[in-house]
Amino acid sequence: MFLSLPYLLVTILFFATVCMHGTRKNAALVFLYALQSTAVALLLAHGAIADHSAIILAVAVFAFIVKVMLAPNFFERLIRKHRITFSARTYLGLPLTAIVVAVLVILPSLHAFAPLTAIAPAHTAETSLALAAFFISCFFVTNRQGGISQMIGLLSIENSIVAFALFAGLEQSAMLQIGIMFDIALWVIIATLLASLAYEQFGTLDTGSMKHLTE
Amino acid sequence: MITLSILIGAPALASIISLFSSRLHLVKYASLAAAAISTIATLFLASRVAFSGTVTLSSFFAIDALGMLGILITSVVGLAAISYSIGYLHNEVNKHIIGPRRVRQYFVLLNLFLAAMLFACAAANPIMMWLAIEATTLSSAFLVSFYHKPSSTEAAWKYLLINSLGLLLGFFGTLLYLSAASLSGENFITWQTLLTHASLLNPDIARLAFVFMLIGYGTKVGLAPMHTWLPDAHSKAPVPISAMLSGVLLNIALIAVLRFKTITDTVVGANFSQHILIVLGLLSIIIAAGMILIQKNYKRMLAYSSIENMGIMALGFGFGGAASLAALLHMIYHSLTKSLLFLSAGNIFLTYSSTKIAQVRGVLTTLPVTGILFFAGILAISGLPPFGIFFTKLAILFTGSDAHPYAVAIALLAFAVIFIGFLRHTTNMLFGEPPANVVPNIESDRWLLVAPATLLLILAVLSIHMPATLAVLLTTASATL
Repeated sequence: MFLSLPYLLVTILFFATVCMHGTRKNAALVFLYALQSTAVALLLAHGAIADHSAIILAVAVFAFIVKVMLAPNFFERLIRKHRITFSARTYLGLPLTAIVVAVLVILPSLHAFAPLTAIAPAHTAETSLALAAFFISCFFVTNRQGGISQMIGLLSIENSIVAFALFAGLEQSAMLQIGIMFDIALWVIIATLLASLAYEQFGTLDTGSMKHLTE
Repeated sequence: MITLSILIGAPALASIISLFSSRLHLVKYASLAAAAISTIATLFLASRVAFSGTVTLSSFFAIDALGMLGILITSVVGLAAISYSIGYLHNEVNKHIIGPRRVRQYFVLLNLFLAAMLFACAAANPIMMWLAIEATTLSSAFLVSFYHKPSSTEAAWKYLLINSLGLLLGFFGTLLYLSAASLSGENFITWQTLLTHASLLNPDIARLAFVFMLIGYGTKVGLAPMHTWLPDAHSKAPVPISAMLSGVLLNIALIAVLRFKTITDTVVGANFSQHILIVLGLLSIIIAAGMILIQKNYKRMLAYSSIENMGIMALGFGFGGAASLAALLHMIYHSLTKSLLFLSAGNIFLTYSSTKIAQVRGVLTTLPVTGILFFAGILAISGLPPFGIFFTKLAILFTGSDAHPYAVAIALLAFAVIFIGFLRHTTNMLFGEPPANVVPNIESDRWLLVAPATLLLILAVLSIHMPATLAVLLTTASATL
């Protein structure tokens, strides 16, 4: 069976998201996010080449710079600066986490979400994978207690949404896409600055250890 | 276009001036002048929108009656917050709580925050509005963590993470709505084109989109159960920021919800969105009632009151009809009252150096003017006549009493609990013997009294008289809901 490039890329995105739940090292988590982001940037570039659109290609390059170069670089600098040890603490234990992830994988195929995957009948498999990655990323953010995991989880949600939008034909004008990339770049800078401040004050980025809001 | 440029450009310019100027006076007065200019531009624009309909400024900006109400609230509360900030930060610098450099940072971020909220109200495109609302989170995160204490950093982290998660869900919901417009072949989608092509939207997608959007923007509105960030952020931020968060930001997100509600109602009928809004509204009121009753911190008490009032508005929009108009009016009254309360609470904090109710006694003795302003605000927010909130609450409950008697009964019960809570906490704070270490000299600083007193005056006037421009804006906006 012939695998198209977009299908391969969204599969990489999906597996990178699933693997995040099993990560026990900061470097591995940052790598998985960079891998996921490379897949999304290539998806954008593939669409740009297919449409012969120079401006969308520029958006893809901008996405690559922000998501694959800038964001991982900021995370690595944050980890190096504070020698942050990885917090793999989760609200649910590993077996329960695995069960929830399995349920989330099949969620897009349920009747309730069928209209979403049916938006683009030619790309049902791709939209299902992107949608599953979206749900799994949402769960990752809520299940992990580590600050770095939460930040990367949020960016992973955004990657999944972009992939879904691309396959569902919901991509926005180049100007708006650039605006979104600019927003992500700003978000990464602000989140890492705040994380740095939190680490200086708490000596950890484990949100389970932040207990100053007890009133 | 010039008016809009002034409206959004003035605070943006003040932010740039604050960034580059080392003269503190210039930073403060440039911010104040920008807010005043922005408010004047708002008043011009308001009468244009009220009497000439939606003002379209290029394909990127369109200000309709609903957006204009948001801009009016933002400008008025923004001006009050900036003028109060001048006196408030001056006191904090004198007490060596913060240094002059932090004052500059404060005004850079506050002006950006203001510009982002104005931009969100004027944006013609749903994604542009989303970007602007996301910008409000980014610009205000460091304002929440302004004091660099562990508790404020924790609150800011929670604020950033929860709101970003919410807004991503809102973004997903927004994209689903855009599937209708993409079927129509439109490239740049405005709110108007989305409404025009709403019939192309698959009803099942419309329902899912509304749920995602409501969870997303509902987080920013502070509706239960997505409200958990709100009491922390509102209680840890400097009081003028708390006033902006409670009095303005929540409404901006609610305006986004209302715009999508209109589209959803066109596709699947009003019942679907109304039932969800009633459930979330009621849940917000109930949770806020319990928390207000047992509250030990007066800033958190005000924050929970914001959750309650957002719940009342959700209930009003859920009941529909005349209750929608009352809910819009409630939005205005709540913004003015809550800002008045937070700014008065700022004076109490400056004098008592504590936000704990147990440590604040005899406010009417130490701060007589502030005490009266705070008490008037509490009476207004509790829904006592002659304040406008009494009439809006009454109208919302009366409209809903036929179709949803149980919801009205539960809400009434919760209001009674909230009133008891407010009365108990406020009497403890206002009366009694003040602690010995209190320095009652801050009321000599006029900056600390002008803004809350003006807000009370506006509230009192609007409670008995509605200017024609505002009345037209309210009826026009409610007709679209």
